[in-house]
Amino acid sequence: MKSKSLLLVAVDFLIMFAGLGVIMLNQYPEIDFSPVPWALGAAVMGVAIQLFLIKGRFSSDIWVFPMVLFFSSLGIIMLARLKPILCVPQLRWLMIGMAVMVGVLYFSRQLKDMMQYQYILGICTLVVLCLSLIFGVEIGGSKNWLVFGPFSVQPSEFGKILLVLFLAAFLSDHRDMLNEAKRRILFLDLPPIRFIAPLLVIWGIAILMFVVQRDLGSALLFFCMAVFMTYMGTGSKSYVFIALLFFGVGAVISYALFSHVQVRFNIWLDPWADPAGQAYQVVQSLFAFAAGGVWGTGFTHGHPGLIPEVHTDFIFSAVAEELGLLGCTVIMMVYVLFFYRGIMIAMNCKKELHTLVAAGFSIALFTQAFIIIAGVTKFLPLTGITLPFISYGGSSMVSGFVMIGLLLSLSKKEKVHGA
Amino acid sequence: MGHKDVKKYILHCSIFMLVCFLCLFGYIVYLQVIAAPALAANPMNRRGDAALDIIRGTILDINGRELAKSTQPGERSYPYGEVMAPVTGYLGEAIGSDGIEAVAGSDLTGQSQQLQMLGPICQAIQSTHGNNVKLTVDADIQQLAYDALGSNRGAVVVMNAETGAIIAMVSKPTFNPTNVEDDWKSLTAREDSPLLNRAAQGLYPPGSTIKVLIADAALDEKVTDLNEKFNCSGKLQIGNEYIGESHGAVHGNNLTLKDALTESCNVTFGTLAMRMHGKGLENAFDRFGFADPINSEFNESRCHLPKFNELGDGDTAQVGIGQGETLVTPLRMAMLASAYVNHGKVMVPYLVEEVISPVGLVIRKASPSKWREVTSEKRANIIGGFMENVVTNGTGGAAAVSGVRVIGKTGTAENSQGADHGWFIGAAELPQGKIAFCIIVENSGGGGTVAAPIARQIIAALRDR
Ligand SMILES: [Zn+2]
Repeated sequence: MKSKSLLLVAVDFLIMFAGLGVIMLNQYPEIDFSPVPWALGAAVMGVAIQLFLIKGRFSSDIWVFPMVLFFSSLGIIMLARLKPILCVPQLRWLMIGMAVMVGVLYFSRQLKDMMQYQYILGICTLVVLCLSLIFGVEIGGSKNWLVFGPFSVQPSEFGKILLVLFLAAFLSDHRDMLNEAKRRILFLDLPPIRFIAPLLVIWGIAILMFVVQRDLGSALLFFCMAVFMTYMGTGSKSYVFIALLFFGVGAVISYALFSHVQVRFNIWLDPWADPAGQAYQVVQSLFAFAAGGVWGTGFTHGHPGLIPEVHTDFIFSAVAEELGLLGCTVIMMVYVLFFYRGIMIAMNCKKELHTLVAAGFSIALFTQAFIIIAGVTKFLPLTGITLPFISYGGSSMVSGFVMIGLLLSLSKKEKVHGA
Repeated sequence: MGHKDVKKYILHCSIFMLVCFLCLFGYIVYLQVIAAPALAANPMNRRGDAALDIIRGTILDINGRELAKSTQPGERSYPYGEVMAPVTGYLGEAIGSDGIEAVAGSDLTGQSQQLQMLGPICQAIQSTHGNNVKLTVDADIQQLAYDALGSNRGAVVVMNAETGAIIAMVSKPTFNPTNVEDDWKSLTAREDSPLLNRAAQGLYPPGSTIKVLIADAALDEKVTDLNEKFNCSGKLQIGNEYIGESHGAVHGNNLTLKDALTESCNVTFGTLAMRMHGKGLENAFDRFGFADPINSEFNESRCHLPKFNELGDGDTAQVGIGQGETLVTPLRMAMLASAYVNHGKVMVPYLVEEVISPVGLVIRKASPSKWREVTSEKRANIIGGFMENVVTNGTGGAAAVSGVRVIGKTGTAENSQGADHGWFIGAAELPQGKIAFCIIVENSGGGGTVAAPIARQIIAALRDR
């Protein structure tokens, strides 16, 4: 069983080297070998980490990491094909991510202790999100970047982690109050306002992100996460109802007030009204899906370059074109398996807090994948957001690995002291 | 409320997200399997016909002369320029494509949609060069017809009556396909519509050329026979209106159907049309296929037919002499003429003779097929005989070529845009095979004087091959 998981890691890197090999052969006679050392480094690191995980000192799950490596390998070969210049940086981010994950695992005991401090976490969440609201710099249409010299960071990526941690801590601590001190208004069961105030603040910030930063994807994701976490923590349908009402009203108001929201929504309703203008990206993405068909045009044989920004938000369209429905199915299946493993980890946690954290991370990554895949296929209105572990992006890669690190550390079976 | 409940709620959320994900997957299956062909055919889709990194194949004429060739991916030159424009069409990144560039686009890029979706298998057979497409068109005849039209607007269609192969398809005025993308704005704005392929898309009243069909229909509907004698006083009174003869001619009495066609007697054909009523005329136009599309390699305009059963007597008589609401394309009139040398059968017209792979292998060869049987062999011979008489003794004398049986019918179509359009449709039996043709010269006056001589030049050139 354990050696089989190592085999999976080997398969992941085989995919990476095969893909890079195909691209290099296409470059003949002027082959760019620069990704090779980085890829080898990542492979060595990946195998070493898996061996370390198999030992089971910090974690009991050996399947999540190979799946993450599958996504990363696929992302790297797609990047090497779409934007070769970003291939090495992405490999570097992958290695940094893996290192951070090992660090998280190493300090997992201390981190687990810190999960209790709900108010500190709450304040941190607020600070991180407000930072980007106030100091945000616009890159690629969204004003959600913080620039530190040569580095640009997307605080919302890290805000995700803090949000899950805070909500998990808050809900597991206040659940009884949230459920018992209810007042009935109409058909809704409501607790005193001071108990749901933190939730309202989170929702409010999500709406602000929606409006101020034009970061519709993160806003939607934050909102979904808050709703899922609240429901998982309390089981109260009233909260879900209030949240949806809140969302509905917010959506209608922002549609009425803000042109960028209107544009996104109108494109979704009828992309053929302006296929060469505002809907260009989505229409080209649909053409990519059509060109791919069942089998795909074959790796490097499609024209995903026709989609602007294909290497970040639209990377799934490139996969759909070149690897076809087959490739899409495999990726989506692995996301489902990944989600399943994450939920299983949550189910096996002894502490309620840990259960909520693990489930929160799993559902956050899964929902993120859903939102962007639905966006590029016009299943839902497009909201720019990265495809976890596949799209290019340092912040999302590192924050993703932090989540994986925490998730893995929660899978470790431990003796319960109190609880 | 305890840990167990939390797990239950987590399960709820997980199932909800999994269902969402499943719906999304179903939608992607729909997108890539069911919706894919329609999306691939969308004119906005540059993946299809632009074939961005494949060197498009060459378009050749029947004798192997280059009509369109690629210098490098995305660059196309057209050695015959305007002469071949109605055949080759054009290709542009922003303007799409037309003509053979559009119809044979997937052959020229060497990829079919089905093949493309096979991914890895496709790559094994995919080459960087598209296929060459050899057409049925003869560049010499095309050039001759183009020159013969002179500075007139109009169209010429020449086809092999026995196979349907198009030998020439000329339209004037036209455009230079090499510069079409640069000139797009001015070309689309011009009032004389140079982008319109008049041969397949120009809609004209058929004038007297339709009398061939009316004679056929009258015999078919048994409203006359070969022995009936018509009487022409130069005027056919219908209520308050009347139909007159051109140039005030009076054809007298003792006119047989043959004489009436030879002299192009409006009185006789107006009378025959009224005898057949709307139903009879509708049947005839249906029988000759004017109501149906060809579904072939032509981006043709649908012919415009009146609602026959709603016509009054006057309008019915107008149908009989090819005036009024009836509008036809030159291609359809050439096909009509072809039936009278091809035993009453009309073949499917086609342009692509062969598709040849870059290494010279013939991938596909045209197989001529019958489109429909429009009339009986016996009646085709009778009407064909009448039309022969038009050339030997009637209005079509200018088309006569020694040593060749030529049949034909002239036409003069009144129209709202000024002087009459001159028509000449017909066929010729050459040693190499039978051809059918249709010539229209816009605003030129009578078809016998301007259009028929062009037919003679073409027939003579083909005879001397
Ligand atoms: Zn007469």
